[in-house]
Amino acid sequence: MKQLFVILTVLALNGCALYDAYMLTGYDSNEYRIITEIRTDAYNYKQQCANQLMSESNAIIMSDKTQLFEFYSEQIPRNDNGVRASKNLNAIAQGLKTQYQNNPAVSPLFCKLKFASIENSAAVIQHVVGRRPR
Amino acid sequence: MTLDTLQSYLVEIANTSDPTFSQFASDINQVVEQAKVGQLSNADVKEILEDAQRQLAILEDMSQLAFKEKLNTVLTGLITIASAV
Repeated sequence: MKQLFVILTVLALNGCALYDAYMLTGYDSNEYRIITEIRTDAYNYKQQCANQLMSESNAIIMSDKTQLFEFYSEQIPRNDNGVRASKNLNAIAQGLKTQYQNNPAVSPLFCKLKFASIENSAAVIQHVVGRRPR
Repeated sequence: MTLDTLQSYLVEIANTSDPTFSQFASDINQVVEQAKVGQLSNADVKEILEDAQRQLAILEDMSQLAFKEKLNTVLTGLITIASAV
């Protein structure tokens, strides 16, 4: 009876959705660590935006870390959603670095908003990465 | 569409019960207000709003992934039940 229930449930699901879910990439402690570091750094850097020299250096460190996260994510198999999210996160961080490269006199408010965007996005990704099947 | 109309949409979303989108719309409205009083340049506002679009895309991708994770948990549970028979 239980086997019949399982078979009927499986047949009721869309084939592709089922395959995607079953073959889902499992929990990766490195991936979780990197995204947690990005979130933590963004939280700390956001509070240092009044110091222009420090913020410029923070922007470079952050963009290196989001680049690392993108490169790490893109070679994980069956991880399309994760790759797209890592690319978008990296684009947010690269934008801040470019701003400092073009004109180091970045407004503290802009710096704060950029790090807040990175922090919020990293928190959303971290929430899902941490719940990957183990 | 005027800026006032767009801001009224933002206020409408900010007053909804969804905590994620309510906060999101409220933050965007604050950015617009700061731009209006000259605290942010137009280029800065454009960059921040583009970031907001990227954040929405991240939310969408992560929501799909969370759904797949839930489905994976169900499948694993069903397989465990079936194996126990």
